[in-house]
Formats: sequence, C-alpha cells, structure tokens
Amino acid sequence: MKENHKDASAMEAQKQECDITQEMEFAPSYRWQHWIRALSIVILIITGFYIAEPIITPIASSQPDNFMYALFRSWHIIFGFVLTWVVLYKSYLFLFGKKNKMERKAIKDIFNIKVWFQQIGYYLLISKHPKLKGVYNPLQFMAYFAFYLMIFLLIITGFVLYVHVYHNGLGAFMYEPMRAVEAMMGGLAMVREIHHIAMWGVILFMLGHIYMAIYNAVFVKEGAMDAIFSGIKWHKKH
Amino acid sequence: MNITKTDTTYDTLHKEFKERIDKLKKLPQMDRKHSIEEIIEENGFSRRDFMKWAGAITAMLSLPSTFTPLMAEAVKVADRLPIIWLHMAECTGCTESLLRSANPSIDSLIFNHVSLEYQETLMTASGWQAEENLENAIEKYKGRYILMVEGGIPSADTEHYLTIGGHGHTGKESAHHASEHAAAIFAIGTCSAFGGVQAAAPNPSNAVALSEITSKPVINVPGCPPSEKNIVGTLMHYLLYGTLPALDVYNRPKWAYRLRIHDLCERRGHFDAGEFVEQFGDEGAKDGFCLYKVGCKGPYTFNNCSKQKFNQGTSWPVQAGFGCIGCSEPNFWDTMGTVNEPLSNKLYHTTFGGLGADATADRIGLSLLTATAVGIAAHAAISAYKNPKE
Repeated sequence: MKENHKDASAMEAQKQECDITQEMEFAPSYRWQHWIRALSIVILIITGFYIAEPIITPIASSQPDNFMYALFRSWHIIFGFVLTWVVLYKSYLFLFGKKNKMERKAIKDIFNIKVWFQQIGYYLLISKHPKLKGVYNPLQFMAYFAFYLMIFLLIITGFVLYVHVYHNGLGAFMYEPMRAVEAMMGGLAMVREIHHIAMWGVILFMLGHIYMAIYNAVFVKEGAMDAIFSGIKWHKKH
Repeated sequence: MNITKTDTTYDTLHKEFKERIDKLKKLPQMDRKHSIEEIIEENGFSRRDFMKWAGAITAMLSLPSTFTPLMAEAVKVADRLPIIWLHMAECTGCTESLLRSANPSIDSLIFNHVSLEYQETLMTASGWQAEENLENAIEKYKGRYILMVEGGIPSADTEHYLTIGGHGHTGKESAHHASEHAAAIFAIGTCSAFGGVQAAAPNPSNAVALSEITSKPVINVPGCPPSEKNIVGTLMHYLLYGTLPALDVYNRPKWAYRLRIHDLCERRGHFDAGEFVEQFGDEGAKDGFCLYKVGCKGPYTFNNCSKQKFNQGTSWPVQAGFGCIGCSEPNFWDTMGTVNEPLSNKLYHTTFGGLGADATADRIGLSLLTATAVGIAAHAAISAYKNPKE
C-alpha cells in the first residue's frame, strides 16, 4: 500500500513537473510512545469495561484457584502504569523536547481567530487550509489538549482507586494525597464515575483522531498515516 | 516497626490512661444507685462476658491485650462523663438501634448507664421542663460534657423546618449553642455526619452536616445506623485518651473507618474470582457469591461492618445476602445510584426533551459515539464527492 501510495504521489509529481521530498516527522521514540499509548488505552478500555460490569463468567470451580476478576484488574493496573509513564514522557517531550519545538509553536495559532475560521472552513470544504506556524491546527491542538486533560483525570482518579486496592508501597506513599482528592471529588463512588466518564471522552477522541488521520492521508497526500509507522512524511517540492 | 520502642510507647500510654481514669474516678457519679457492674450482672452477663467485651473493645481500638483490665476500669467510670444527646432532622434510628434491642448487648447497657443529661427519646421530662434540663446541663457542665448529635440540620431559609420546644429554638440554634460549650462533639449517624437522606437532592430543607454549623472539630461516626460498637468505641476512646482519635479524610475515626467494606468482606474471594450473583435467589446467591453485580457498594464504602456486625454481632447485610448500600459515605443517596443496581447502572438526568431521560453513562457515551460516527460518515461522504480545497 505504501508502494502504491509512493507511486501515485510520484506519478502525480511527475505530472506536475515537480519532485517530492521526504522528511523525518516522527523520531522512533515518538512513534514507540504513540503506539504503546494506543495499545495501553485499548487494553485499559476493554479491561475497564469488565471491571465496571463483569460480563464474562468463569467456569465455576470448587477449588479456590479462580482469579478471573483479579486477573482483569492486574492487567488494568499494569497498563495503567504503562500509560502513566508514557504520558509523562510525552508531556516532557512536548514541554522540553528539542525536536518538539514545532509542537509548541502551534500554541501561537490558537490566539489567531483568523486561523480558527479558516480551519473550520477547510473542514466544511469551503476555504483553503490555513498556513500554520506549528504542526497542529487550533482545532487539533484543542482536541489534543482535551485528550490530555482527560488522560490526566483518568490517571489521578485511577490512583485514588489504586490506593484502596494496594495499601503498601506506592499505595501507602500516595494514600494521604489521594484521599484528599477523593474527598474533593465527593467520595469514592464519584471518583469511580468520573473515571468512567473520562474514559468515554477518550473513546470519542479516538474515533475523531483516527478519522482525521485517515482524512489527512487521503486528501492531503503527504503520507500522514505512514508517518506514524515509518516516521517519514512526504512533501511536494515547490 | 521497632518493637522495644513501641513497648515503651505503650507503657507511657498505659500510665496516661491510668492517671486519667483516676482523675475521672474522683468526679461525682451521676445520680445512679447502681454501678455498671451491677447492671451488667443483673442483665445476665457474667464477669467473664464483661472481660471478653473489654478485650474486644481494646483490640478494636488497636491497643494490646494488656490494656484490657484498664478498659474494664474505664467502663466503670464512664458514668462520670456527662453526655448531651440532641435529635435533629432524623428518624431516631441510631438511638433505637442502640437501645431498643430484645437482648441488650453490653454496649447498649453501658450506653444506658452513662450519664445522659439530655436525650429526647429516653428522658421522662417534657415541655418546659425538658428545655430547662438542657439549659441546666449545658450551664452545669460547661466545657466538660460530650455532645452527641443525631440527625441532619435544616439551614438557610428553611432553618425553621426544624423548630423544637416552647422557646421555638431551631435545630440549628440548639446544636450551635450546645456545640459552643462541649468538650468533644460526636456526630452520630450519617445524617449528622454528612446530612443524610434528607440532604439528598433536591434537599428541600437545606439539611447540612453538624460540622457545617460549628467551627469546632466534629468526630463523624456515620452509618445508617452506625454499629453500637462504633458509637461506644468512640466514647471509650475519648474516655481513655481525652483527645480526638486519628481521623480519616471525612473526620471518621480511623480505627473504625480506615478500610472499605470491600477490603474486609467475607465474599471478597468470590469477587476476585469473578463469581457473581446475577440476580437474587439464583445459584450464585445460594453459593454465597459476590454481590457486586446486584448493586453492592462495598468497594466505595468505608466501615467495619463485617468485623463488628449488628444485632449483638449476629450478622451484617452482606452476610445476610444483601449488598452494602454505602450508608456511611457522604451523599451516598445521590452518588451511589440505585440500591440494587451496580454503579455502572447509575442514571443521569439528561432530559433533552425527554429523549435521554435517566440514561446510564454508558448509554450516553454510546449515543455520543453513534452521533460522532454518523457525523464522520457524512463528512467523509461529502468530502469524497467535493474534495477539500488545497
């Protein structure tokens, strides 16, 4: 498929009598964190739904050696921690990474109302894509911003739920501050609900994110979809 | 933990308790003809039963067994502490559950015996005399009495919904006045601790917790009702230490409310195994499976029910096959959803012209997801027909 895409682009480029260049858009570490994050989120959603409503019933056993629910919970917690570290790593990259300067530059466009209208117009198919200072358009940036808010909300509420399951070690270390968060949110039942609702926010984000990525790959023809696998994006030479 | 260090700590503590009990002993016994020992014996408890009880309370307060004789001593001077018990907006269930049992436990006997200076359910006085008793008690034991309050307190412009006695004092006024001069304040039951059922949305009487109307520290002993052991234990703790116990984030004594129902549950093994009662009366219910799917709120509730139990230690809800309703948590009526439904079935009042009334989070999520998917499909179709501008 990649070959076809390259061929198509090349052919088109030939037709327009201009060449295309490749650019390393995503470094390997960036691609890895993206896919580890994606995998964690998928596993967390599946195991999370089971934890909320245990729909799978194990074969009854008279021996006390059945740990179906505990197993789902362990995977949920394991990938919860994986997600936490990866999100912290990505947040660090965004804030301080040298190669992530273009991500930070996108903040400037948020304060430009013209770019907003132009971008909305582009999605409504009535105006051209605006020229951007960074790698994200304002709508995209706000979507990512909301996504990270929800992820951090999920991490915090997840920790509150965690300290009540594992009382030693990290659980003991975080216990007091997490109980303060619990009281702030109105009790453990509310924490559990907020955790659940924020997950729905992430699911909605994922749908939009995947659609926009495919949309970009199909219509902008710069290999946006390839880039998150191979790291390489294609540009037309002017 | 360093054992020798702990030992010396306990020695000091033992000495302190002893001094405090001796001090209390010197105070006059409150108009009683019989000692607590006589009363306990009259009710058919042997000395051995009594010591067993003292041992249990000692363990409950996380003290070593060497403190048991001291606890037995402390109970004997419990009638030296004046107690004022106020009823606010409530059902009197806390008092009733503690005192009106066919076979009173040692806990209820002690509670009957302690010097209740004012208790609307128990006292003989009525009308003006009752009000006078309250005033006198507050005046006489200023700064020394323990205030126990049962019930939520109507406030704001509906404060007068609770008005008691000939002077027409509102509940808020009486509770505030009594709190001002108390040595220690215990909020007994979920209503006075967190507002309780009458504070549930839309809270027509603007009922609030006792801690909302006084700036003094309030020890919350929530539960609907709290177990007799938690009430008497809080009292015994104060009697021995003379200070407030270690409290959790909701001002509940840690010795009773440190862990969740879920952590102490006898059905926890079935929870981890994924073995659930699907509906009441099914095979799982007969086998004592976990009640999570029929709405047990144990995972969100902090209390020691499985250890202390109710009705003289006979049973407790989960043992009897009914899930926890979360009664010792703030706003449990609103936050925990329907009693016999798991939290994931909690309904949100989303009335878009009646379209989404009373939907669960999952239903709302799925609806939004579907709407998004439809929007995406439409956008994709139009984009394919009319390409975006480059």
